[in-house]
Amino acid sequence: MNKLSSVQIGESVTVRKFDLNAKTALRLQALGMIPGTQVTVLQKKGKGAMIIDLRGTRFALGPSISENIEVSYAK
Amino acid sequence: MQNDVTIGFIGNPNCGKTTLFNAYTGANLKVANWPGVTVERMEGAISSHGKKIRLVDLPGTYSLNSFTMEEQVSRQFIISDEVNVIVDVADASSLERSLYLTLQMLEMDKPMALALNMMDIVEKRGIDLDLHRLQELLGIPVVPVVARKKKGLKALLHAALHQNDDGNAFNHQPLEIDSEKPREHVMIYSAPIEEKISKIEALLPEDTPRKRWVAVSLLMQDPELLEKYPIDLKSIADGTEANTIVNEKYDRISQIKNEVLLGKDKSDSLTEKIDNVVTRPFWGVLIFLGMMAIVFALTFNLGDFLSEYLQTGIDWITQSIGAGLASVHAASWLSNLICDGIISGVGGILTFLPNITILFIAMAFLEDTGYMARVAYVMNEIMEKIGLSGRAFIPMVLGFGCTVPAIMASRALESERDRKRVMLLTPFMSCSAKLPVYILFAGMFFEHNAMWAAYSMYLIGILMALLLAWILHKMDGKEEEYPLLIELPAYKMPSAHTVWVYVWEKVKDFLTKAGTTIFIASVLLWILMHFSMTGYTEDISTSFAAVLGHGLAWILIPCGLGYWQIAVALIAGISAKEVVVSSITVLFGISNVTSFGGMQQLHMELSAIGFGPLNAYCMMLFCLLYIPCIAALSTIRRESNSVWYMLKTAAFQFGIAWLTTAAVYQLGLLFIH
Repeated sequence: MNKLSSVQIGESVTVRKFDLNAKTALRLQALGMIPGTQVTVLQKKGKGAMIIDLRGTRFALGPSISENIEVSYAK
Repeated sequence: MQNDVTIGFIGNPNCGKTTLFNAYTGANLKVANWPGVTVERMEGAISSHGKKIRLVDLPGTYSLNSFTMEEQVSRQFIISDEVNVIVDVADASSLERSLYLTLQMLEMDKPMALALNMMDIVEKRGIDLDLHRLQELLGIPVVPVVARKKKGLKALLHAALHQNDDGNAFNHQPLEIDSEKPREHVMIYSAPIEEKISKIEALLPEDTPRKRWVAVSLLMQDPELLEKYPIDLKSIADGTEANTIVNEKYDRISQIKNEVLLGKDKSDSLTEKIDNVVTRPFWGVLIFLGMMAIVFALTFNLGDFLSEYLQTGIDWITQSIGAGLASVHAASWLSNLICDGIISGVGGILTFLPNITILFIAMAFLEDTGYMARVAYVMNEIMEKIGLSGRAFIPMVLGFGCTVPAIMASRALESERDRKRVMLLTPFMSCSAKLPVYILFAGMFFEHNAMWAAYSMYLIGILMALLLAWILHKMDGKEEEYPLLIELPAYKMPSAHTVWVYVWEKVKDFLTKAGTTIFIASVLLWILMHFSMTGYTEDISTSFAAVLGHGLAWILIPCGLGYWQIAVALIAGISAKEVVVSSITVLFGISNVTSFGGMQQLHMELSAIGFGPLNAYCMMLFCLLYIPCIAALSTIRRESNSVWYMLKTAAFQFGIAWLTTAAVYQLGLLFIH
């Protein structure tokens, strides 16, 4: 399994699993980020802070989020 | 009036809801808190269609579960009978995101109209929206608006009021997508979910209002409703429903979007291009610092240029009043009080109006374009090192304008620990009220390097806040539990109206402060300076002010500020930081302090008591760091809900100011000798 934090700029992936505390997972759920959702990485910084496109809106995520989301590449 | 109507505005953050709300109400707002929580509630009243209409701006939110304070207050307000109609504001350029809240709202079964905002951006991007079809599919009126240009406002209000009328058959009668037949609900879930909804509905008490919404919310594991309706959920649901419900809602949204969105959706290339530059690693930080440098350069240079004109005007008024008082043979103490007490105090502060206005225009610009959210991302690494989320940097930047709204902006932070820390550190960010102190002292003692001396205050303020945050982080050793998660809205040209409302509010605050706090402080100070144990005196050195100043000045000796006049000015400055300047002008009897002559005179008077450039720098530093003003302190008390916390903050700031200034002064002395 790949981590979201290891995805390169410009690549699109599908969210598979969260390994986050309940509060953060619920915040992501309210934004429509749940297993099965497709996201695109738009910008990224060294430690894994990134800007993603989630359902047509840009979000900035801290590394502690992107490191704990498992993703898979579309075939 | 009998026919009062209350309209609630709801929408995602950054959807332009507040701009739309302001377009209706103007700056004529009543701002308060929602009962019991520190979430801002804005209200305005207008008259239209022969009705008195109350408008309430609900906090921006992405969903209506009860996980956050914002969601809870929005939800309770919508359910209550207090509100008659809901206006759901959607960003048409980000339809997918916006319609999620709309679908949740529709389940709550309340009269509602959808305002599709930012239609100009949609058109620019070459998208065609079949609004008529969208209206059919949702079963509620859909009105296109451009809040920034005040387009579509009348139609929206008309539609919303119409929804309030009884017997509006069109209301909540959505149609199917693949046929023209009516459909029971906009959101119909897959069979297993619908089955569970029916089962729960059967278990709920007969008189439960909005049964379907309650059932869906229970499946979403909504904590508030789980407590209110303690039914045996475990026999029906296995806990996986929440994800399915969210997914199916988004599936439905895609279907709706595919049906109504015609033409090709070109992505927002401008936002992409700007973000590619300003959010680059490393460069992003440099660009941010550069922008702040431009903001302050404008504030100082352009502001000073304009101040001179204002000073000329105030001088003329002072002279006229002085001549007028002389011609009616007013008592000398009275003309002394008016000219040297009130006018030099209040007037001295008013000349800084251009600097402060420019600073707030720049801040409004940074906020309204959408850049401020990027700052949270850009600064995230640095902020994480000191144990805060990048988001905590936003209130700190706002602190350059005024500490009060900055502390209130800390509400947006999810973590209580972050909020407290931001409240403690924001006062170190150099606010606009400290600007007059820098301009005066740097202008007098540092001549060509004045701007650099003032600029260094801003830098020291930031570094001090970051350093203290780091120390506090090392002391408690806890990890951040709310990592960065923030929407980056598409860039847009700020609306002149929004900037105007924002700046006018701040300018009004400043003028009010000049007319109240600074006025009273100037009069009080004049009284303290002109009365002694024996009554009225012309000799300031025997006055109450001198006694008080002498009593306290010794504390400030190690900081190079051991002068009784300075001690008095600093104490007076707790009422408002500008008062430090107005007090000094009153104490030294200078009437036109921003003019060259006035500065020279004050410079001479200060030099005469042994106050040199090093003392001046220490004065600026002490003003930067010491106890925040009364308004900021009372905001800290209100937001932390604790007098004790406020007192601790004040003591902490004073301690830091004293230690830092003393260190700089003592080191400075070594270099000078």
